[in-house]
Amino acid sequence: MATLRIPTPLRAYAGGASQLDIKSEKVSGALDELVKAHPELKPHLFQESGELRAFVNLFVNDENVRDLAGADTPLKSGDTLMILPSIAGGVDLQKVDHAALRTNQVFIIGLSLAAFILDAAWLAGFVGLAMLIGTLLKKPGFGFVYQGWLKPSGILKPDVIADNPEPHRFAQGFGAVVDLAGFALLLVGATGAGWALIWIVIFLAALNLFFGFCAGCAVYYWLNRLRVPGFVKAAPAGSFPGLRPKAS
Amino acid sequence: MKLQLSAELLAQIHAHGEAAYPEEGAGFLLGKADGESRTGTLILPANNSREDSARQNRYQITPQENLKAEELATARGLDVIGIFHSHPDHPNQPSDFDREWALPWYSYLITSVNKGKAVETRSWRLSDDRSKYSEEAIAIIESTKEN
Repeated sequence: MATLRIPTPLRAYAGGASQLDIKSEKVSGALDELVKAHPELKPHLFQESGELRAFVNLFVNDENVRDLAGADTPLKSGDTLMILPSIAGGVDLQKVDHAALRTNQVFIIGLSLAAFILDAAWLAGFVGLAMLIGTLLKKPGFGFVYQGWLKPSGILKPDVIADNPEPHRFAQGFGAVVDLAGFALLLVGATGAGWALIWIVIFLAALNLFFGFCAGCAVYYWLNRLRVPGFVKAAPAGSFPGLRPKAS
Repeated sequence: MKLQLSAELLAQIHAHGEAAYPEEGAGFLLGKADGESRTGTLILPANNSREDSARQNRYQITPQENLKAEELATARGLDVIGIFHSHPDHPNQPSDFDREWALPWYSYLITSVNKGKAVETRSWRLSDDRSKYSEEAIAIIESTKEN
């Protein structure tokens, strides 16, 4: 007969018992016996779908059953089966609506291109100013078009994913500075250099819009890795710094 | 629900969160439970086993470390009564992720560490139906140091 040890936090759901004698000769059978004997334990060990919760680890005599035969790991007399929770936690990422970001990019690209084609320096300046104001208000500069019209009318669907808003703000702020520098150069007559800077903004916004790569965010995350003060957020787990995080 | 801690032990928990900053730091709280009241007497800091890029907003402690904590507790005649972790530059309230991964009964101590300085620790317990956390009062007591 094997013995199943119940971890301290779950004993309250097992009538205070710290262990249970197991007749089954397999790990899976031992768990069945456990929840049959103590049904109140079930929600803490299993998800509603019937799968084991992610934090539940099973050890037979100090060896993780994942390294043995999983749920089919045999139990013999004298074996100890332990339930050892992995412990995890932490701060949740904030939510970022990428549809608002893309709307912003479309406007930055479209209006900047129009400014170039029409040779309208004031329009390039307007784009830079909108980005600057947006950065100060912690919003995408042209996000109001999305919030006020595109989203409520259903033309664009929200695309909310877990992400850090700060790098996007930094990226927009960086774009605003480059764009306004270009505008200043245009004003003083340095036409070539001025439009070159504005084209850089167009290119980076397009890279983000069409390929999901936010160059400013990548810079933010690199500065974070270098522990530069103020750059407190690291790239979301499992995503390349600057690339759109996977929806989860 | 009440958690008793010595000022010294709380200072150790704060120091651990500050040392881990800007990453999350975590570990086990060992002590004695007596009905709804419990007393922490010892901490066992744990390694954050998450990959580098996630350590600022996640901690994970392997089951092997949990086993070590259980063995230490047994050897000292104590129980693992809770888990402490830090929230760098975030409030000391449990996140949805914390709740998903939480076990009932344990005291979850969360220390907010702002700009490298531990500000405050609060303790939380998961409800029986796993739907929410309730705050557990922390009472500071005279030293309970184990010898």
